[in-house]
Amino acid sequence: MAMMPKRVKYRKFQRGKIRDKATRGNTVAYGEFGLQALSKGMVSARQIEAGRVAAVHFLNREGKVYMRVFPHRSISAKPLETRMGKGKGEPSEWVARVREGTMIYELGGVEEGVARQAMVRVAAKMPMRCRFVIRRHGL
Amino acid sequence: MKIPTLKAETRTQRGTRFCRNLRESGRLPGVIYGHGEEPVSVSFSAHELKMELRHGSRLMSLEMGGEAKQYLIKEVQYDHFDKDPVHVDFARVDLDERVRVQVTVELRGTPAGLSEGGILDQLHDKIEVECRAGDIPSTLHPSVAGLLVNDALCAKDIELPEGVTLITGPDEKIAMVHILAVKADEATEEGAESTGSAEPERIGRVAEDPESKDA
Repeated sequence: MAMMPKRVKYRKFQRGKIRDKATRGNTVAYGEFGLQALSKGMVSARQIEAGRVAAVHFLNREGKVYMRVFPHRSISAKPLETRMGKGKGEPSEWVARVREGTMIYELGGVEEGVARQAMVRVAAKMPMRCRFVIRRHGL
Repeated sequence: MKIPTLKAETRTQRGTRFCRNLRESGRLPGVIYGHGEEPVSVSFSAHELKMELRHGSRLMSLEMGGEAKQYLIKEVQYDHFDKDPVHVDFARVDLDERVRVQVTVELRGTPAGLSEGGILDQLHDKIEVECRAGDIPSTLHPSVAGLLVNDALCAKDIELPEGVTLITGPDEKIAMVHILAVKADEATEEGAESTGSAEPERIGRVAEDPESKDA
């Protein structure tokens, strides 16, 4: 099931811009390997779920997949064949706003080769270019 | 342990714009502080630093004006991709002085619990220790081969070299073997397509009363 917040203060958001680069959430924090966004963008709840399913399916329930982003913002859309005006459309999907450098997924408990193959499959589900990263031990 | 040497120059210019230009020219800004003396701004080759950081040494010898001195690497800041260093803090230190540092823990061996379907989860990859600056271990290699399912490796179980004291809580779990709990919704990989109409609850809004709306 696609993710969405349990409770929100406002249902609709202004569009805004994704500014700057990730200054937090940009390191491998939980697992041993990660998938890092190389450009900014919005990842929908469906894409996040598709990535998770791709990883779990490939790993055959080995290892642990961590999702580092959550779709906090709604995107509204107007129904088809509707005239413009009459107010803002209804929320149609939920998205996570991802900055350049954000770690989207992490993976632990598997060998590097397996993790690489899994992340290639996950990256194919993402709307931006991503890279595979290994946790940096030491300084 | 051999202390790597880095050729450094003192710099008088500071600030974002200068440091950006410095990085573009292949050098990195850094600062030396500690022991109650004035901080000194320095610069050094980014490539040389990256090469030396690979070896895991916590001490670095900086050669400035023909004179080399040892410093403790206090912090390395990385860029937004967490890939290239952008700034380094060095602390003045005597080799006999006791210092507190974070040391990397690299697990060795394959836990026995893996054959029972468990997975190895490393909860912390660093522990804090106190030791002589000259004797800082680059990494610690505890064995996890004996861990069964639901067993944990605690900080106190890690063998430390002589003269090294553990500062991290002794009962802090460093790694454990456990069986993954499969959530009900994850069990069905394809999952329910979506509950498209479902909406989050709204904070501070009582369920709308049609009568009050008309009023």
